Amino acid sequence: MRRLAAAFVCLSFLAQQAYGAEWREVELILPRALETGETVLVEVQLGTLPRGMEIEVSTASGRELGMISPYGIRTGNAAGTYTLPIPPDVFTKGRATIRLSINQPDRTRRAPTEDEVKSVRVKIAGGM
Amino acid sequence: MQPTKITRRRFLETTAAAASVAMLPLGVIAQTKAKFRRYNVMSAGGKKALASYARGVNAMLKLPATDPRNWFRNAFTHLMDCPHGNWWFYVWHRGYLGYFEETIRNLSGDPTFAIPYWDWTTLPEIPASLFDAFLTPRDMAFEPYTGNLGRFTAFIQPPLKAHWDSLTPAQRDQLRVRGYTDFDLLWNDVTGYNPKNKFGISGNMAYAITCGARYLTRDNPKLDKKTTYDVSPFIVRSGLLPREFYSADNKLSFTSSKTPSHNTQPDQTTEFSILEGFPHNKVHNYIGGVGPVDPGPYGNMTNFLSPVDPIFFLHHSNMDRLWDVWTRKQQALKLPWLPTGQDLDTLSKEPFLFYVNAKGQPVGESKAGEYLNMDRFGYDYEPGFGEELVNPLKVMPLAEQTTPLLQGTVQNNTASVAIAPAAIQKHIDAKTTPALLARITLPRPDVTSSLTREFDVIVGAPDEVTEVDADSPFYAGTIAFFGKMPSMEGMAMDATFTVPLPSAPQAFAQALAASPDKSTPANIKIRVVPSHHPRETAPALKSVSVHAL
Repeated sequence: MRRLAAAFVCLSFLAQQAYGAEWREVELILPRALETGETVLVEVQLGTLPRGMEIEVSTASGRELGMISPYGIRTGNAAGTYTLPIPPDVFTKGRATIRLSINQPDRTRRAPTEDEVKSVRVKIAGGM
Repeated sequence: MQPTKITRRRFLETTAAAASVAMLPLGVIAQTKAKFRRYNVMSAGGKKALASYARGVNAMLKLPATDPRNWFRNAFTHLMDCPHGNWWFYVWHRGYLGYFEETIRNLSGDPTFAIPYWDWTTLPEIPASLFDAFLTPRDMAFEPYTGNLGRFTAFIQPPLKAHWDSLTPAQRDQLRVRGYTDFDLLWNDVTGYNPKNKFGISGNMAYAITCGARYLTRDNPKLDKKTTYDVSPFIVRSGLLPREFYSADNKLSFTSSKTPSHNTQPDQTTEFSILEGFPHNKVHNYIGGVGPVDPGPYGNMTNFLSPVDPIFFLHHSNMDRLWDVWTRKQQALKLPWLPTGQDLDTLSKEPFLFYVNAKGQPVGESKAGEYLNMDRFGYDYEPGFGEELVNPLKVMPLAEQTTPLLQGTVQNNTASVAIAPAAIQKHIDAKTTPALLARITLPRPDVTSSLTREFDVIVGAPDEVTEVDADSPFYAGTIAFFGKMPSMEGMAMDATFTVPLPSAPQAFAQALAASPDKSTPANIKIRVVPSHHPRETAPALKSVSVHAL
């Protein structure tokens, strides 16, 4: 049986958001080395989004990490916070760069604004 | 009530499996036999249930809109009362599905009916049968009601308004929390009309025209890559790992936020659990067309009239199944599966006021606590993805095993192991306590190219048998890779599993027939094939041996 979760929170939020950028890059730094069976979770806090707008999360090399797809959010309300597991092999020496991107109706992508993605935090959670 | 056992044996990867550790399940959880079983929609039981389901949907479509069991009226119960983004998400939907299931049971004429589940992790596409008559909202049977907004309004709005006018003060209070202070505000969510801007917003419209009510079609049934990732084994297993029903620290929490009411709408304070936030949400949205048909209007599944699409109930049956898997995992680990202390009281006393029973009568006030256990509706689930997490494992060093070790040979990806007929007979006679164990070494699947991390072990089957289910006499168990995958992509690492050979005589009949004098060892053939995905390539067997205990 794996040990109970060891919690920790930390984050670095490097916004590389030039005008017209297709994504925002965020560098995640693990607070410590992972132990066997532990999971890395990323919490993404969203602001208000138009209906149907999704946030794509991927690595800098384009590997899919998940699609945040708000459902049942009343118009005008913030979309809430989503917890996404990240495969440990995404990290090299405790660091990983992820990209956040919004897919637009015209099939183009853009970086989310700071009002749309308010924060990103990385946590370590234990296994079973 | 008779005890029954989980029949499917599953074996998990151990982190040290490649070294010298083998595993066996530690005991089997005895369960109370349920009156009804919710089957995987792809199984024989699921297909039978689906036929009854289609009859029930047709019957509900034909009911007048004044009947709360009418198909669309039933969907409005969801629109008016469903919780999302809070810790009542699972329990409210359990009640909603439970009463719905009883209604279908009555109206379909099938007293054994139980809602099948769609295990999207193992089947990331809409099952073909869900495009058959009455089982898609694009079916012509829906057209008389949803052919255009005017038709839908004329059909449903008057009885819905009458229902609104008959609501109790307590129901009105709950709707106020939801933002529905008058009927027009509720109806605006049907049309997408925004009173502030005085125009409609297509993406906010809960009504969906028949021809656009579901984005996916029979010719295009697959979830896209991103949705498939959100329902992948990695995401779903991660969602089953939390050890508390609710924790303010959401990495420890199986459920989403604790809120004052189940009607509290998600906002900036909401923290979605992994399972609700990813598989649940993404499947809803993609089936409705989020992405391909942006900015809407979307199909039904994208909004709170999602129960208009019959697949809603199979989707939520799977969510409910995963709650059951998580609950039994907690029990197996001797951990609490519900909140404790005041939290349990708060969770349990939440009033649910909008359910309708199979007779079309309001259930009245019931409490969330009534639906925390599946016994309320008397069903259980045919095992599906995630089941391997339920059984705690006993890690058994090889040193504890007795010799002899019978090394097999591998040719054409089939292992052959010579075993004395007397040892085979002893194993068959032992029935529940295996005397022969196979030790199988194979490469871990490459998660970037393989659909499955699970592989069935087939023993003694004729060559033409290329897949087995749990009831097959040739089925020895499922190897389920779990946990961290290799950090070096593309570099396969081997893992070793120990699996009891099946006890059915058929698994040995062919080999024993070739060794009639009982003195010559019988060659038992062992293969490993992809579970769930028979067209996937089988992993290359590295070595197979058999141990006699």
